[in-house]
Amino acid sequence: MLRRLTLISAKQLTRSQSTSTPGAKEKWDLYAGILVERLPVISKTLNPLERQFQDLLSQVEYENSLKSDFELKHERDLVQKELIKQGKVQVDLDDSMAKQTAQDLKDAYKEELKKFQAAPRTTADDAANKLTSTDRCLEDTLYLVVKQKLGEQEHFVLPQGLRKDGESMRQTAERVLSERCGKDLQVLFYGNAPVGFHKYKYPSKQRSESVGAKIFFYRASVRAGNVNVEQQAIPYEWLPKETLNKKLNNAYAESINKFLI
Amino acid sequence: MSLLSALARLSLQSNSVAARFLHTSPVLCAEPLKKKKKLDPQIIKQREDRKKKKIEKQIRRLEKNARQLKPVEELEVPLDLIDNKAQRERKLTPLSAEELEQRALLKKQWAQYKHEQKVADFQIIDRLVQSQNKALEELRRESEELYQAAIAIDMTLLPVSVKGPVATPPIKGYISPDGDYIHQTMKWE
Repeated sequence: MLRRLTLISAKQLTRSQSTSTPGAKEKWDLYAGILVERLPVISKTLNPLERQFQDLLSQVEYENSLKSDFELKHERDLVQKELIKQGKVQVDLDDSMAKQTAQDLKDAYKEELKKFQAAPRTTADDAANKLTSTDRCLEDTLYLVVKQKLGEQEHFVLPQGLRKDGESMRQTAERVLSERCGKDLQVLFYGNAPVGFHKYKYPSKQRSESVGAKIFFYRASVRAGNVNVEQQAIPYEWLPKETLNKKLNNAYAESINKFLI
Repeated sequence: MSLLSALARLSLQSNSVAARFLHTSPVLCAEPLKKKKKLDPQIIKQREDRKKKKIEKQIRRLEKNARQLKPVEELEVPLDLIDNKAQRERKLTPLSAEELEQRALLKKQWAQYKHEQKVADFQIIDRLVQSQNKALEELRRESEELYQAAIAIDMTLLPVSVKGPVATPPIKGYISPDGDYIHQTMKWE
């Protein structure tokens, strides 16, 4: 253990020496950015080929299957009906009242199914194009962008914030997200490692302290809730990938696209 | 009063006397041993035999059961299904050559489509890994400490529960009706 410690400290020494030798090392601000995604809720609509192949599979399945008890009963019912029609079999009225044919059962089942209404695959928020809602575009992954002031202008970016001393990047990411988006938004972070990286230089006037910003992106998925900050209403939007690219700055979008799925 | 004092005096006297002349010993509650019943050796032998037989019988029963396995109902085709299999077969018209050709073509098309999908998936994975490696590299350039914190294993992540996409979105506030529970598991001795 002690040996390892000395090893590490030796490594750090050499590192600090090597970094200090160039003299004027550029200082960069470290930011943590969070890619918050709302995972798809429903499965993708099948494309024509998929639909065709699914039909084929169910057809093959039907051809290879044997008749079920229900189908046999239906056939027997048909034969019985035919016999009664021809008058070969006496009908026992009491019995026939109690007896349900397979067709009757089938109709009853269909009636019962009709009563159940599955939720539609498009929601009211889809129709209203409410960009702040997570209850839309259920087939796609939605990404959270917020309007943030960078320099003098406001831009739509993934939520990001400056690292404080003593924090790891993951801790920064967690803190920034709760600061920007409120406590209501519950997310699951995918590990301690950043998934993406972007850097940009500040305008030359503002380069007194540090040259620019390095942003390390963390991936997280929404578990519950939505953005909710009481003090200031920050504009935010949940966007699918295609719209996201249009909304963002070109260079920024290029960096982001490297780790979007 | 006088009687009490006299008694007291007597006891004072007797103390020293008793210590010298009276000896006590623990009570021995002994009695003569019971006479052992002498059993007939033949009866003993009979008893032993009976015990032996009993155990043997048990062993035999166990052995018999050992060969008899607990039936797995799901693996056995019910007899009535075997009997009326012919009745259950579908009488379908054989497929035309044209139909078969069309199906084969569709299958080929499908294979091609899935292959392309798979390749695209691998490309996405490559891209993600590359992106992460670059981020970690940059982080290391900034600070070794932050890099070490970033590559540490996140113990809180597992176990993770993920709900997959479904065909239709869940209905809010829907209470699923409870069905009937019929206990069907058989008991086997």
